[in-house]
Amino acid sequence: MTPCTCLVQAGQIPAATEAALRSGLSDFAERAFGAPAEINWITVPEKGGFTAAKPSTSALVTLQADAPVEQSRRVALLQELCDLWIGETNCSLDEIVAVISDPQN
Amino acid sequence: MPLYSCNAAKGAIDDAVKPKIAEDITRIHCDVTGAPPTFVHAFFFEDAVHQPLGDKTAFLFGSIRAGRTDAQKAQIVDEMRQSIHTHTGIPLDEILVTTRDTPARWVMEGGDLLPEPGEEAAWLAAHEAKLAAASTS
Repeated sequence: MTPCTCLVQAGQIPAATEAALRSGLSDFAERAFGAPAEINWITVPEKGGFTAAKPSTSALVTLQADAPVEQSRRVALLQELCDLWIGETNCSLDEIVAVISDPQN
Repeated sequence: MPLYSCNAAKGAIDDAVKPKIAEDITRIHCDVTGAPPTFVHAFFFEDAVHQPLGDKTAFLFGSIRAGRTDAQKAQIVDEMRQSIHTHTGIPLDEILVTTRDTPARWVMEGGDLLPEPGEEAAWLAAHEAKLAAASTS
């Protein structure tokens, strides 16, 4: 499985959108890293999220690759990941932070 | 990025003081590193299983861009720990603050890879120009 963590703000992602994101992320992980995503979906409680010290509308999605990723491939995957998230949520480009990490101890 | 994730025992950090701590986290990070405030995320949780408290009452975990000096990281840890103590009354020895380095090249924010430390101004200028161009096209 491909470790994946999604951090989202409370009340921001409807259940149907969450389901679509989970499915899309799992497919993405399988294509990119050969194994579906094992998703840890974490909701930031109401009044608990801040960006630039103001109430946050940001989401962070992190996937951990199964092997070190060549940088040009990483950039393409990050762009695909952002497009996936924006396509499902209609958030703005500034509201999604995407991370694709190399394997970590 | 950075992302500062603060987990605390239920009721230990009142909702009313979270904006103040978030403001301190943002100010301290920017003062120490020179990063722009728009990069700084501070998220608060209670009894979150993804960030175990162990024997502490509050645990602030910062994922920051790699490249900061040990002195910068120590200053961040000390000042943020003090901020949580000041705003909540939680004893200092019950507050844990740690950071972990994340390479900037691993992170995309606003559709662009994050800049390396020290390259923020050029990144912001290019990013804002890109957004302006997109909004007029």
